[in-house]
Amino acid sequence: MTTETLSLPLTETATPVDQDELAQQVADCFAEQVPVYPLGGCTSLDYGLTPQQEGIGLSLTKINRLVDFPARDLTLTVEAGMTMATIAELVAEEGLQLPIHVPDAGQASIGGVIATNWNGPARPGYGTIRDYVIGISAVDGTGLPYRGGGRVVKNVAGYDFCKLLTGSLGTLGVITQVTLRLKPIPPQATTLAVPLSDLEQAENLLSGLVNSQTTPYAVELLSGEHWQDCPALDTDSPWHLTLSYSGSEEEVNWMVGQLEQELQEQALPVAQQLTDDEHQQLWDELVEFPAGKEDPLVIQATMVPSGTTTFIHEARQLDPACSIQAHAASGIVVVRFAEFPEDGLSRTLVGTLQPVAAAAHGNVVILSNPSGREMTARSTWGSIPAPLSLLSRIKNNFDPGNLLNPGRFVYP
Amino acid sequence: MVSPTIAQVLGPLREIVGAENLLTSASERIVYECDGFVVEKNSPDAVVFPTSTDQVARIVQACNEADIPFLPRGAGTSLAGGCLPVGGGVMIVLTKMKEILEINLRDHYAVVQPGVVNVWLTQALSGSGYHYAPDPSSQSACTIGGNVATNSGGPHTLKYGVTVNHVLGVEAVLADGSIAMIGGPAGEMPGPDLVGAMVGSEGTLAIVTRVWVRLTRDPQGYRTMLGIFESVDDATHAISAIIGAGMIPAALEMMDQGILVALEEAFQFGFPLDAQAILLIEVDGLEAGLDTQRDDIIRLCEESGAREVRMAADQQERLKLWKCRKQAFGAIGRLSSSFCTQDGVVPRTQLPNIFKKIQETSEKYDIRIVNVFHAGDGNLHPILLFDERDPDQVKKVMEASGEILEACLEAGGSVTGEHGIGVEKIRYMNKMFRDSDLQAMRQLRDAFNPDNRLSPDKMLPTAGACGMEQTHPGRQAAL
Repeated sequence: MTTETLSLPLTETATPVDQDELAQQVADCFAEQVPVYPLGGCTSLDYGLTPQQEGIGLSLTKINRLVDFPARDLTLTVEAGMTMATIAELVAEEGLQLPIHVPDAGQASIGGVIATNWNGPARPGYGTIRDYVIGISAVDGTGLPYRGGGRVVKNVAGYDFCKLLTGSLGTLGVITQVTLRLKPIPPQATTLAVPLSDLEQAENLLSGLVNSQTTPYAVELLSGEHWQDCPALDTDSPWHLTLSYSGSEEEVNWMVGQLEQELQEQALPVAQQLTDDEHQQLWDELVEFPAGKEDPLVIQATMVPSGTTTFIHEARQLDPACSIQAHAASGIVVVRFAEFPEDGLSRTLVGTLQPVAAAAHGNVVILSNPSGREMTARSTWGSIPAPLSLLSRIKNNFDPGNLLNPGRFVYP
Repeated sequence: MVSPTIAQVLGPLREIVGAENLLTSASERIVYECDGFVVEKNSPDAVVFPTSTDQVARIVQACNEADIPFLPRGAGTSLAGGCLPVGGGVMIVLTKMKEILEINLRDHYAVVQPGVVNVWLTQALSGSGYHYAPDPSSQSACTIGGNVATNSGGPHTLKYGVTVNHVLGVEAVLADGSIAMIGGPAGEMPGPDLVGAMVGSEGTLAIVTRVWVRLTRDPQGYRTMLGIFESVDDATHAISAIIGAGMIPAALEMMDQGILVALEEAFQFGFPLDAQAILLIEVDGLEAGLDTQRDDIIRLCEESGAREVRMAADQQERLKLWKCRKQAFGAIGRLSSSFCTQDGVVPRTQLPNIFKKIQETSEKYDIRIVNVFHAGDGNLHPILLFDERDPDQVKKVMEASGEILEACLEAGGSVTGEHGIGVEKIRYMNKMFRDSDLQAMRQLRDAFNPDNRLSPDKMLPTAGACGMEQTHPGRQAAL
């Protein structure tokens, strides 16, 4: 994507060649009180409110170098503009992975993934990006370069900026460099798909999994038109629950057999083990689904896992033709609407779905809304579980001019 | 003698918590003059034991109105002076807020008050199939609130991570006395990860009054091994080989000969006294894969020159091995009346170099140093033995500690892996971080704690006043 086509009010785009130049440009913008829009791979610019103030795009595409890769230490230090695909390729040569799976990995930058706290289906097995960032460098809204953490996996010196900047949406600093911890790639991985006739069956299976002896790294509940076309899944069933397992051959085989036995004991349908090709094909679909930019509205709900099926039921009531992906063991539901809700977002999201999620300690955010209609702080971000006054004080201390990605997040 | 400033807050404090939950006499307050870092001491002006979040909030408001500093404390097992009341003030001890409020297995979380002792949660979950993963060696005494403040580690962090990886949300009293809910049982929230930023902030950002922790499925089984090596180099080579083979053991601990001798005297486990290093290695997970992993580890240890690899035959033997490890520091008393433990970290592949450096330092200063490492994480605990009655030795220990920590920094590491900065390591902050990094840390602290009344003079060096002058090394009891 070229930056000219972005939905941002950019007067120009600068492409600094190194971190010092970037810091200087932010400092210049601060001196002139010009807004700065950090640009990584530009894959998540639909996420959040659309900024209105004119400003300068600051592209990190040239700040994308490998800094250090001591593979035996299972760590990697790179500049923030490096893409997720490049990282995956680089570390795979040593049998390692950063097990965070995001759409458009060939475009998406590691800095952007951290800033948006974007996480894929593998949360149950691998956690989220916050568990992998052990060192971070950024530039605040005045041009002050700062870093936290370091290059070692265990470190409690000073405040943890790695965490503060995770999910910060480029509003507390432009992330310029990160150190990540890595994991070995397991020798085997496979997926089992369980065709289900209704949500009740899904609920039974999911609550039974709490006591399962198996440890799936991903548990996905899928339904809707999108999945009807997926060759890896049995198209006659309205619902599919997929469980992915990894480990040594011995471990994977044991878990596959054990799951089959557990399903049988609970009188649930028989699971079908996918071929390696189907497993890979499905995995790619699972990772890419939330991008759904061609759809009129994509939302993501986060709640405790037991709330998942109730939420899905409510979403289905609102749009029977929607497509759904739930990271069901993690309580995350992505809904791609087939139509922009007739009743509008204040009724559909604020009035209906946000309260359903809240009843399960959760929240709903908009991932993309190409029409831009009814994007308010409340419809877009739901109810943030942190005091706005505290968030605003942090914002003000790191960006006193409100110049970093102004208008994106909930700050007044 | 009660200062006039503190006198004006005693009435309100008594009203909030009741006379039975307020200590004011010097003889009672002296118990709270330090934590596990016993070098620097200062009694708080008053000690309160709130029993509810609302009481904590009102105490903080009362302190603010009287312009008196205040700080939280759990069990006081921290090792860097994190709950030292620098400059006095009101100490808010959270040990009477000790309820486990909820255990929810379906959604794998528990809600606890900050004064819940770490091991109580382990016990409450026993038999449920789930556990709370962080298990610092002081787990039978330390509180979960304290674990959150210090982002505690422990021997199982290699596979399971540290406290922050297991905290989903907190309820906290902010420095202005307001009550905030940050995050919650669902974990992920939009916007900056404030929960993550608060964990490990050593009580300088807020006072945590409730914690949502993640529960982890119990492993089906364990295999616990003891690799016996002729040299530390061989042992560290084995560690690299194991991790290089794609295995992440649940724990990978190294002990050198000095500590082995003390442990053997204390526990008679049958450690060979002439071995230069032993590795305590534990893998856990599905039974299906464990024997293969065990065999691979034994092979890799032997290929790296292990003299022998023993296996814990049963759960009893396994627990005994862990008891040895977790009580290693208790055994130090057999070697020396005074000791000082450091907490440096290096990239794990740098372990042989840093070990050489520790040995050289030991020889240079003529100070005996024994070692217990969380080797899988590259986290060192060199223990410097000395006689605190001898001022010359005291000085040498200070210098030797400094040299070791600086070598950790040169190797790309950190001065603290799990004990924290507190007051003990403030002087290293500007060696580890640039001025601009420290400036940004102040920006964060000031957003939470603008008047700096909450645990002042901790963690960040302050221009002109940096806590207390350190003239004496730490004598620490556990890790």
